[in-house]
Amino acid sequence: MSMATFTVPTVTNAASNKEDLVEKVTVQNLDFFYGDHRALKNINVSLYHGKVTAFIGPSGCGKSTLLRILNRMYDLYPNQRATGTVRLDNDDILAPSQDLNLLRAKVGMVFQKPTPFPMTIYENIAFGIRLYENLPKSELDGRVQQALQRAALWEEVKDKLGANGLSLSGGQQQRLCIARTVAVRPEVILFDEPCSALDPISTAKIEELIDELKEDYTIAIVTHNMQQAARVSDFTAFMYLGELVEYGDTTRMFTTPSDRRTQDYITGRFG
Amino acid sequence: MTSSRRRRVADVALQSGVVEVAEKVDRAKVLQRLRVGDIAFRHTTRAAAVTVLVILSGIIFSLVYGSLPALQKFGFNFLIEESWNPVTEHFGAIAPIYGTIVTSIIAMIIAVPVGLFIALFLTELCPMWLRRPIGIAIELLAGIPSIIYGIWGLFVFAPFLQQHVQPFLITVFGHVPVLSTLFEGPPYGIGVLTAGLILAIMVLPFITSISRDVFDAVPPMLKESAYGLGCTTWEVARYVVLPFTRVGVIGGVMLALGRALGETMAVTFVIGNAHRISGSILAPGTTISATIANEFTEAVGDIYTSSLIALGLILFVITFIVLACARLMLMRLNARLGQ
Repeated sequence: MSMATFTVPTVTNAASNKEDLVEKVTVQNLDFFYGDHRALKNINVSLYHGKVTAFIGPSGCGKSTLLRILNRMYDLYPNQRATGTVRLDNDDILAPSQDLNLLRAKVGMVFQKPTPFPMTIYENIAFGIRLYENLPKSELDGRVQQALQRAALWEEVKDKLGANGLSLSGGQQQRLCIARTVAVRPEVILFDEPCSALDPISTAKIEELIDELKEDYTIAIVTHNMQQAARVSDFTAFMYLGELVEYGDTTRMFTTPSDRRTQDYITGRFG
Repeated sequence: MTSSRRRRVADVALQSGVVEVAEKVDRAKVLQRLRVGDIAFRHTTRAAAVTVLVILSGIIFSLVYGSLPALQKFGFNFLIEESWNPVTEHFGAIAPIYGTIVTSIIAMIIAVPVGLFIALFLTELCPMWLRRPIGIAIELLAGIPSIIYGIWGLFVFAPFLQQHVQPFLITVFGHVPVLSTLFEGPPYGIGVLTAGLILAIMVLPFITSISRDVFDAVPPMLKESAYGLGCTTWEVARYVVLPFTRVGVIGGVMLALGRALGETMAVTFVIGNAHRISGSILAPGTTISATIANEFTEAVGDIYTSSLIALGLILFVITFIVLACARLMLMRLNARLGQ
């Protein structure tokens, strides 16, 4: 089989801060099946704390599937299973004994389309906090404000916290979803094409936000937009037909990709 | 093939030769023909819609017209008097109104939570292989004619309640204040409680199948984002699925309530048809529709017939009030959510 172009993720051209890298999520020999269909083939990749890792590749190559394994979202559906090892720090994510609610509180996710809950803006944020913490009103208010500020939404909504989350514009809704994710204080945030339904201005805001958030979190982002991957990420992984073709420092990936397929994809020859 | 309306053209895609395309037709003529069809279509649909209004106003008119003699004779007292005496021709509607409302309340208290739980189980928790059998069973339950519920209720369910459930209720609650009045008296088997239970079984499929359909329509991504925060299935159901689907769920509940209020045959069999108000739900009673179904054949006098029609009018008004309350409730819910 020629699929494994490399086995252990090695980071090249990042020598300056290589010693600072802390592996937060480690994926080893991961396979994923939808029924009998093998959607991911022997994936090996690491996500580093304080860094943004972008996953690029044509539709159906398994980027979103990989993301949905990291918080075990696939568990909601029958006939889907993963084999291999996925570690969050030293915790085995795929272990049957893994507490899914706790895992998902640690690994937050932002989806393709904004999905505000059918409640007020305030409640959208407070809802997630209340699941795990029993805070007095004043402290909860503070946490909500903090989360909204973090998502650069506070100035726009501070006078209408009682309005329904659905009354916001698409870009605002997406930032509300980011605020909601940040509010529960996760360790890892997964972005599944967060800007695919947004206009360029909202997209720019979200990208700026991701750049700010990466200080404190481990971030993975799936995107179809190559420029976006180049702009926001520190590391890039190129996936094709369920395989992880190439993985490395973003600058190197976009300037001197070592695999022919990566080069073809980023230069727009296919995909 | 070569008609006068076709001309030969070269086709770049078919390099081998030529194809024929239709000659340009007179656009105005075609539009004219379409316009006639359009006007006919508009009028037909409008006529169909107006028919509903005509039928509805016809029913309202005949109900009001038919009940006028009784309402003129008894006035407002018709609504608050308990006596229902065909011999002296003295009629009051409070007993059937009371029976209708109480049986419906009992039915809804039982059927709404059970129906919602079934729907939530089916959509959120049920393993795939069990989903179809339960779904089909629910649909079959909805398909059973009410007369079958009636005879089953009278010959099987009521004796069962009489022998096992009602004595138990009387012993347990007999000494608790308030509840002792509710479960007072001998276990007849038939009565208000039995009618309420039968109604609960009958409306359960409505609530379940409508809520299941609206729960299924919740975008998976919305549920996933709630699960993504670490919500349990219960929290997702309570705080995301139910609020998102509240309009549909309330619609289903109201449809069920409408059926419970108007259900005739099964209730007539098991309620006991006694024109009196009793504090105990074990006692026999009657409902509006059961009274009408039981007595229309023997209603000889004008006032008797008119009183029965007046009962029908009252049922109509109750149903209307229920629908209006549902609307109001939805509006207030939406206002509270800041939409």
